[in-house]
Amino acid sequence: MRFPGRMVLAVLGVAGLLGCQRGEAPREAGRPRVALVLKTLNSPFFIDMQRGAQAAAANMKVDLVVQAAEREVDVEKQMQIIENLIQTGVKALCVTPSGSKEIVPALVKANHAGIPVVVVDTRVDPKAAAEAGLKTDVFVGSDNYEGGRIAGAHLVAITGGRARVAVLEGIPGHETGDSRLKGFKDAVKDAPGVRILASQTANWERDQGFTVFQNLLQAHPDLDAVFACNDMMALGAVEAIAAAGRTGKVTVIGFDAVEDARKAIAAGAMAASVAQFPSEMGRLAVESAAKLLRGEKPPADQRVRIELVTKDNLAAH
Amino acid sequence: MTLAARLAQRGREVGTLLGLVALCLLLSALSPHFLTVSNLLNVMEQTSINAVIAVGMTYVIISGGIDLSVGSLLALAGVLLASGLASGLPPAVAIPLGLLAGAAGGLANGLLVTWGRLPPFIATLGMMSVARGAALLYTEGRPISGFEPGFRVLATGRLLLVPVPVVAAAVVYLVAHFVLTRTRFGRYVYAIGGNPEAARLSGVPVRFHQTMVYALSGVTSGLAAVLLTARLNSAQPIAGIMYELDAIAATVIGGTSLMGGSGTLGGTLIGALIMGVLRNGLNLLGISSFLQQIVIGCVIIVAVLVDSALKRPGR
Repeated sequence: MRFPGRMVLAVLGVAGLLGCQRGEAPREAGRPRVALVLKTLNSPFFIDMQRGAQAAAANMKVDLVVQAAEREVDVEKQMQIIENLIQTGVKALCVTPSGSKEIVPALVKANHAGIPVVVVDTRVDPKAAAEAGLKTDVFVGSDNYEGGRIAGAHLVAITGGRARVAVLEGIPGHETGDSRLKGFKDAVKDAPGVRILASQTANWERDQGFTVFQNLLQAHPDLDAVFACNDMMALGAVEAIAAAGRTGKVTVIGFDAVEDARKAIAAGAMAASVAQFPSEMGRLAVESAAKLLRGEKPPADQRVRIELVTKDNLAAH
Repeated sequence: MTLAARLAQRGREVGTLLGLVALCLLLSALSPHFLTVSNLLNVMEQTSINAVIAVGMTYVIISGGIDLSVGSLLALAGVLLASGLASGLPPAVAIPLGLLAGAAGGLANGLLVTWGRLPPFIATLGMMSVARGAALLYTEGRPISGFEPGFRVLATGRLLLVPVPVVAAAVVYLVAHFVLTRTRFGRYVYAIGGNPEAARLSGVPVRFHQTMVYALSGVTSGLAAVLLTARLNSAQPIAGIMYELDAIAATVIGGTSLMGGSGTLGGTLIGALIMGVLRNGLNLLGISSFLQQIVIGCVIIVAVLVDSALKRPGR
C-alpha cells in the first residue's frame, strides 16, 4: 500500500515548511517568555501594537511570542491559542480579548496556571469576570469613552451646535465600540440642536459602512454629519457620500486615525478622527508584564493617551 | 458493502492514522511541550467541537450531499440554549431546546433538498444565512452569558481525568458509528450516496432518509453548540463562522468521498484530530497564523490528492 508512504512524505513536507520559518524570536537563555495574544494580525492597529511590544521586550530583556487567530471575532480560536501558550510554559500573558465575556474562561485557565494576565485594549466584562473568580493584574488601553466624548464635542463645535447626525456603530457587545458610542452621545446630549436621527451597526467594516450609510442617506437625505465608531466604517461612509454627490456637505468623524483616514482628512473628505496609540499600548503591556515577573507592582489601570486629529494638527501626527 | 470495498476503506483509515502518528512524532521532535499528558488532553478538548460537527457532516457527505449551514445552526442553537439558561431554565430543559433548534434547522435543510429538489449546496447556503441572521436578530448581536455554575461542568468537568467534552465527543462517535455500520438506517445512507436511483428502485425510502440525515447534522451542530457555550461560558451570535469548512476538511481528510457512498466516522475522527493537532502544534511552535492557514490548506489538498490517486482505475 502506497498511502502511508505518501502521507509520511506530506508530513515531511510540512516539516520542511515549519523548519523554514519559525515565528519565534531567537531565545536567549534565562529570559522569561511573555506572550502577547492579539485579536488579529491583519489590521494596522494590531501590527503597530506588536511593534511597540517587540521594542519593549528588547528593552525589558524578555522573550516575546506574539500570536493571533485567523479571524478577529473567533474567540474560541483565541482561547485555543491561550491554552496552547500555557502548555509552552509562558511566564506572563498579555491579551486583547476578542470577546469581553467569552474570553473569561481562557483567562481563568491562566490564573490556575499562576500566569499573570495583562489585558490590553478591550476590557473583560466585569460581571463575567467576577462570577468566574477571574483575577487580571493590569489593564492597558485607550479611554474609549473619552475618545467618543471628544469626537462628540468636536462635532458640536464645528457644526455650531446644529446637526442632523447618523451614527455607525461597531459590532454590538464590543466594549470598545459601546464606550465610544456612549461618550459621543453624552457629549452631544447638551447641544439641543444636534439630533441623532439614526444609529446602525456596520460591523467595523468598510464595505458595510458604505452600504449602511448609503441606505441611511436614502432614509434621511438631510443628514449633515456622521460619527463612525471606527475609521473603516467612516471611510465607507465617505465613499457613499461621494457616490451621492454630497462630498463636503456631510461632516464625517471617525475613530483610530488610520492612514487612509489621515489622507481623507488632508483631502477634506473627513473632518476628524480620534487617534489611539496602539504601539504605546503594546509597550506598556509588555513593560507591565515584565515588572510583574520581577515582583514589582505596575499600576492596575493604565490609560493610553488619545488625541483628536484634524486638518490643523495633521502634520504633527 | 463488498469485502474488497470494506478492506479498501479500512486501509484508507490506517493510512490516515499513520499520517496522524507521523504528525505527532514530528511535533514531539520539534517541541518539548507537545507530548505531555496535559497537552494531549488539551488537544482532544480543542478538537471535540469540530469533531462533533463533523459527525453530522460525514453522514451528509456519505449520503451524497453537503451541509454549509452547520456553523450558523451552531450559533442559533447556542444563543437559544444560552437565553434559556440565562432566564433560569435548568440545563436539562435548555440543552434539549438547543438541540431541537439545530434539529429544526437541519430538518428544513432536508425538506428543501428532498421535497424542494434544491441542490444541497444551495439549500444549506440559504440556511447558513437565515440561521445566522436569526441568531443575530434574536440577540441584537450581543453575546449572552450569566449561567448557573453547574452548566460549566460540561466544559471544566473531568471523568477519570478525561475532560467532559472529550467524553461527550467519544460517546457521540460510538453511537453514530454504531448507527452507521450496524443499522438499516446506516446502510441506506451509504446506498443513497452510492446511487440514489438504484436505492429508490430497491425500495429504500430515499427522501425520508435523506431528510433525516440533514436533521441529524443539525442535531450534531446543536451538540457542538452546547459544548462551545459551556467552553466560553457564553454564546455569541457570530460563533461558528467558517466552522463548516473545518468540518468538511476533517471529513475529507478522513477519507470520505465528496461524491458520496463511501467514508467512515473513524476516518473523520482521525481527520479532526489531524486538524486539531496541527493547529495546536503550530501554536506551540509559535508559527504565525498566516503560515498556519497555508499548512492546513496544504494538508487538506494532499490528503484528497492521495485519496483520488488511490481511486483511479488500474490501482
